[in-house]
Amino acid sequence: MGSVLGDWPSYDPHNFSQLRPSDPSTPSKMTPTTYQPTHNRTLPPPDQVITTETKNILLRHIYQRAEEKLRPKRAAPEHLLPEHGCKQLRASVQDTPC
Amino acid sequence: MGDVSDRIGRPTDNGQIGIIDPECRLIGLHLYDGLFKVIPFDNKGQLKEAFNIRLEELQVLDIKFLYGCSKPTIVVLYQDNKDARHVKTYEVSLKDKDFVEGPWSQNNLDNGAALLIPVPPPLCGVLIIGEETIVYCSANAFKAIPIKPSITRAYGRVDSDGSRYLLGDYNGLLQLLVITHEKEKVTGLKIELLGETSIASTISYLDNAVVYIGSSYGDSQLIKLNMHPDAKGSYVEVLERYVNLGPIVDFCVVDLERQGQGQVVTCSGAYKDGSLRVVRNGIGINEQASVELQGIKGMWSLRSSTEDAFDTFLVVSFISETRILAMNMEDELEETEIEGFCSEVQTLFCHDAVYNQLVQVTSSSVRLVSSITRELRNEWNAPAGYSINVATANATQVLLATGGGHLVYLEIGDGVLTEVKHSQLEYEVSCLDINPIGENPSYSQLAVVGMWTDISVRLFSLPDLNLITKEPLGGEIIPRSVLLCAFEGISYLLCALGDGHLLNFLLNTTTGELTDRKKISLGTQPITLRTFSSKNTTYVFAASDRPTVIYSSNKKLLYSNVNLKEVSHMCPFNTAAFPDSLAIAKEGELTIGTIDDIQKLHIRSILLGEQPRRICHQEQSRTFAICSVKYNQSGGDESEMHVIRLLDDQTFDFISTYPLDTFEYGCSILSCSFSDDSSVYYCVGTAYGRILVFMVEDGKLQLIAEKETKGAVYSLNAFNGKLLAAINQKIQLYKWMLRDDGSRELQSECGHHGHILALYVQTRGDFIVVGDLMKSISLLIYKHEEGAIEERARDYNANWMSAVEILDDDVYLGAENSFNIFTVRKNSEGATDEERGRLDVVGEYHLGEFINRFRHGSLVMRLPDSDVGQIPTVIFGSVNGVIGVIASLPHEQYVFLEKLQTSLRKVIKGVGGLSHEHWRSFNNEKKTVEAKNFLDGDLIESFLDLNRSKMDEIAKQMGVSVEELCKRVEDLTRLH
Repeated sequence: MGSVLGDWPSYDPHNFSQLRPSDPSTPSKMTPTTYQPTHNRTLPPPDQVITTETKNILLRHIYQRAEEKLRPKRAAPEHLLPEHGCKQLRASVQDTPC
Repeated sequence: MGDVSDRIGRPTDNGQIGIIDPECRLIGLHLYDGLFKVIPFDNKGQLKEAFNIRLEELQVLDIKFLYGCSKPTIVVLYQDNKDARHVKTYEVSLKDKDFVEGPWSQNNLDNGAALLIPVPPPLCGVLIIGEETIVYCSANAFKAIPIKPSITRAYGRVDSDGSRYLLGDYNGLLQLLVITHEKEKVTGLKIELLGETSIASTISYLDNAVVYIGSSYGDSQLIKLNMHPDAKGSYVEVLERYVNLGPIVDFCVVDLERQGQGQVVTCSGAYKDGSLRVVRNGIGINEQASVELQGIKGMWSLRSSTEDAFDTFLVVSFISETRILAMNMEDELEETEIEGFCSEVQTLFCHDAVYNQLVQVTSSSVRLVSSITRELRNEWNAPAGYSINVATANATQVLLATGGGHLVYLEIGDGVLTEVKHSQLEYEVSCLDINPIGENPSYSQLAVVGMWTDISVRLFSLPDLNLITKEPLGGEIIPRSVLLCAFEGISYLLCALGDGHLLNFLLNTTTGELTDRKKISLGTQPITLRTFSSKNTTYVFAASDRPTVIYSSNKKLLYSNVNLKEVSHMCPFNTAAFPDSLAIAKEGELTIGTIDDIQKLHIRSILLGEQPRRICHQEQSRTFAICSVKYNQSGGDESEMHVIRLLDDQTFDFISTYPLDTFEYGCSILSCSFSDDSSVYYCVGTAYGRILVFMVEDGKLQLIAEKETKGAVYSLNAFNGKLLAAINQKIQLYKWMLRDDGSRELQSECGHHGHILALYVQTRGDFIVVGDLMKSISLLIYKHEEGAIEERARDYNANWMSAVEILDDDVYLGAENSFNIFTVRKNSEGATDEERGRLDVVGEYHLGEFINRFRHGSLVMRLPDSDVGQIPTVIFGSVNGVIGVIASLPHEQYVFLEKLQTSLRKVIKGVGGLSHEHWRSFNNEKKTVEAKNFLDGDLIESFLDLNRSKMDEIAKQMGVSVEELCKRVEDLTRLH
């Protein structure tokens, strides 16, 4: 039990070393000021505007399939064999996936 | 920035999820059922075009990224259509814009599993937090432990290697979950109870065993985890508490102290953290002693020796005499004498002086008196034919003015008063001050003088009385009180006018230059300014018909009203028996009291340990009644108990409780009386269909009558001496009938169908405004002759309402569930029936808060003869614990402030480029339209926080002086 609860991580021993528990009936009276940015420093870069791809998922899928079909089929076997061999080799070296 | 919303798609029921891949390859978003949105980062950290991936799992409970995967991998916790819960992993293939089946999955988890915690390297994998089990899962390990049934609401990682986590549950219990491991292989799980906190929404381990508990159901806390348990077995020590009013489900506005100032009493918090909160504006005076004394013209406290830490004497001046009070041995205030003082005339000023001396100024002389022997040591007489009109002093100096504009400066020595300088001004002096604000606390190098005739304030150097600065005040009202003071290291000159206005200037103490002139209105009567100290900080008390304390926070002057009606004079009176006290002259009474902590809003918390749902106040019995739910857990069995409780409106003690039936929910509560019956009743509407009528007798809730209803009673209103109830889809009116046996009963008179659920009802005269679950606002009218309720008009928009209020005869205010507020107007002059039957939308605004209740009222004292006093206000309370004010501004002021808002939008920029205009646009599932006829008071008031050059910039755009702008904005701040 003691071992589990003790040894809390400490990044800087000074942190909170001066803090004394306050009276629990009186809450903290800290009133943070509102930040009023009157400058442009927080503006995002003009070229960085997030947009979502407008293409529908289904259409994207169909186009991808179509592209795959359009690839020259004959070239495939020539490349496949050595690639396949290479893959098997790597798999044998690796013992734990992920 | 950008917009990640999709035009189609069903928003997720379980809330939006946004996660970032631990290796920063992409952002993942789950916003719509069946879709996972990916925003990829390129290798420079730039965001690329987002795309959606079809997610087969429709009922997603949680999604997290896994650590330590070569490809970005998510783990999805979901529920299938047989309500079983499983986890599944997917790799995100950025190239194919699709998911690839992940390394592992786990079926048939705990039925209450709802939270995933990804474990960082070296362990990796994920913790699945259920209601009865906690499971650790990875590609090559599976460990589970049973836990006591509970719902985990929040977690916080303790160690960077992810071996310990803090878990917070729905009852506020804090537990420590430990992953035991050997050689980077997980060997098991352990869980330990640490103690109780507020119900946590977030848990953040900070450093050195200090943890922040963020709570949306109770106050947030800073806690320390101790090595050893306390007497109750808890390892948790609360270091600090941060007030949270949310969720405010209901509130009422009452004037408990009967001073013409409202206080808000909220139903706050949830479950065991439920509470009532009394929110009050301004500063309270806690009366210690008080005595009847008419005609006080001035008051000063004096010490019996220079070294004494406490005051002994209180000098009270009247029109033709001066009386001296002192604390005796029994700590009682009794009349005494200072022989050296002249007590047959009015005193103009008194002060402690160096060398154990006291100074008294009367119209004829300045008297220097020993505070030990109390005998006169020296006297300075006004020249023959002249009388002293105004005077001031500090420990070593005296400044006075006689008729004819003669200004005389004296210095105080050991038993001597020396006239150092005399100067003649062209006009009479109205007020003066030499409060030392420089390095020497008993000597001032500056004197400030207020003038008749040319209406100016002038600064003179001391001791030579050379004029340094002359500041014309403008207008025709003479300065009545001037004060030099310093707050947070900044020097100010305050100048109070005879009409209740206050001017403040920044004062350069070396050059005497006055800058940043600001004018605000405090009251309508002349103001007297005095400094006082409380808890080692200096404040200024402005005594007038609206007493105010002036203080500084974040280097800005703030004005907080004191909860007293009218104060003519104030002086600090710090005695051993009543330390840090003030003597206050008001309405023929002298009061000694201490002052509350100086802050704008005071919040008193009444922790109930149960959840209040509805509240209402009854003036006649001086009680509150609440509908409340108590959650009990005894030995694994959980039950809820619904009760009506009666509370004393001063102590907030429970004085009577009426239990409702099991599962009978209190939905509405009202204090009202009926025609032909002088008694006052509490009426309660419940959610399995009853209206209960109670009377407070001998401090107890006595059930007088009971009426069954066909549905839940969502709202109750007093209406023409009858009771108007909203029951499911119907509005129903009940008469209060006297039976033959003398008992009373509710008898149905008439009703109106035509709602989905009539949730919120407000009435005015014969008009009834209904806020419907999903059919916006409709207006009904009660016809006396026919004894019928008919629909007059409705808003045809499909707004899901959360609150309604009537602003005036024609305009009604509504809040809906997409965090918007809007107003609709009755169109009585419409040409056709169709036009007259439509409520026109006139105002629309995105508030960004879910409002549960509107109530007419104000948190500030309203002076009927001030401009601000004419502006009607409505208070709202929200789920996030926000209390806000909606003020109906006159057209001219609206136009002016709208222009100011437009200018401010250009100067105060949204962080991250977010546009204010866009944020405030009315926005729900159906439409987005620009805000109209609402202004953002917070943005407008932030004008006062701008630096001078930005203020100038805006003033130039507006074509108005900065001073005028400040005054108009500061007037606005006095609405709340």
